[in-house]
Amino acid sequence: MIDLCRGRDLARHELRELVADIAARPQEWRHLVHHDPAVRTYEQLLRDEHVAVWLICWMDDHDTGFHDHDVSCGALAVARGAVVEERLALGGPPARRRLRAGQALDFAASDIHRVAHGGGGPAITINAYSPPLWRMGAYETTPTGELQRHSISYAEELRPLSLAVL
Amino acid sequence: MGFMGIIRRVKVDVHQHLWPEALIAALTWRREPPLLRRCGQSWVLRLRDEPECAFDQREHDPDARLDLLERDGVDRALLAISSPLGIEALPRTEAEPLLDAHNNGLIELGGRFGVWGAVSLCPPVAADVDALLDAGAVGISLPAGALSGPAGLDRCCDLLERLEARDAPLFVHPGPGPSRSQAYVELDAPTWWPAMTRYVADMNAAWHAFVALGRPRHPRLRVVFALLAGGAPLHAERLGARGGPREAVVDCGLFYDTSSYGVRTIDAVVRCVGIDQLIYGSDRPVADPPPTSLLGPAAREAMVAVNVARLLHGEAPAVAA
Repeated sequence: MIDLCRGRDLARHELRELVADIAARPQEWRHLVHHDPAVRTYEQLLRDEHVAVWLICWMDDHDTGFHDHDVSCGALAVARGAVVEERLALGGPPARRRLRAGQALDFAASDIHRVAHGGGGPAITINAYSPPLWRMGAYETTPTGELQRHSISYAEELRPLSLAVL
Repeated sequence: MGFMGIIRRVKVDVHQHLWPEALIAALTWRREPPLLRRCGQSWVLRLRDEPECAFDQREHDPDARLDLLERDGVDRALLAISSPLGIEALPRTEAEPLLDAHNNGLIELGGRFGVWGAVSLCPPVAADVDALLDAGAVGISLPAGALSGPAGLDRCCDLLERLEARDAPLFVHPGPGPSRSQAYVELDAPTWWPAMTRYVADMNAAWHAFVALGRPRHPRLRVVFALLAGGAPLHAERLGARGGPREAVVDCGLFYDTSSYGVRTIDAVVRCVGIDQLIYGSDRPVADPPPTSLLGPAAREAMVAVNVARLLHGEAPAVAA
């Protein structure tokens, strides 16, 4: 089993090592994989006082939108398929990178980014946050071009309302 | 042709009180607290441990309560005995008529009302748990004062074992246990005084007792603590600093109802235990609850539906979120 037990918040490089390690061990989480064309699906793999680890399944046009993680830093490893990450930049296009299975990235609490499915078949990422996500910032551009930050509970991102074809 | 929509889950308020007519009548016949006595045109509730307060029977009308369920946006309410009355801690011969009036009156209501069964603590008998669950109770409620230390957990061990064996949950609510040494009455205190002092302290003690001593004995028991367990999870850092099991805040079998709290305190507890452990409880008719949407629609869905299903039935968190 995956064991955290470090008794403290983790640094970005430690989170990156953690998600890369978990992504490379599909036997630990394969039974939780569930893809839904309508929405990203989420499963919390672990949580302690200092770290929370999530399995996220991506398809088609799934896209987080620009967001930040308030007080948590984090990391993401691609276990299957591909995702695209963009970092928000004022006065220019966002910095964009594409990650394939076996690749990982990390981010600070102050980074503003978005992650989207990278095309092709379904994708799986392992995400970790330290301390566990609490509140987040969701960014919106108004019709007049002003950037707004909405403070939201992490539940809006990681426990969103269920959607289904009725 | 299909369209995208929200999956409809049953929305539940896990913490309400409704006194059946038979219980109210039985309380008016009593000569010792707990009792109801007439005062002019109205009724007054007298308890052993609390200042007297007015009692309005209209607040316990099932039809009026159904209207409030609509207003609160929930499908179902789980009704618990008002444990501050101290009924569970009365001698069994005194308690049984009152417990029967409560349990039977509410189980007969059925429909959109579910029941936390109430049991005598003098002595606790596991067969009472079986009888109530067999009759349709969703689980059992116990007063926090009955679980607030090693002696209380020992005393209630058979009840908790039976609940665990039946895969049914426990609701811990403020109220005295059978071992209280003397009455605590502040006659001049405002009516909210017990709710802000003893209730909070008892819930805090019951949570700490359970995580330290109860959880090792009852590893699969699911428990919901009223009023966010008196804020006990907020003290996890202090618990760790004093050598206690601070990892208790990551116990996925422990839930916290939100009764009488608002966005600041609920969000603070979310930070400590995660959204998956929070559950909506209004404490009607004692309190007028804030909107269930105060943390956003996804948090609301977690607190009124998804997490309640895990509490009641042990269902795993929904994978398709």
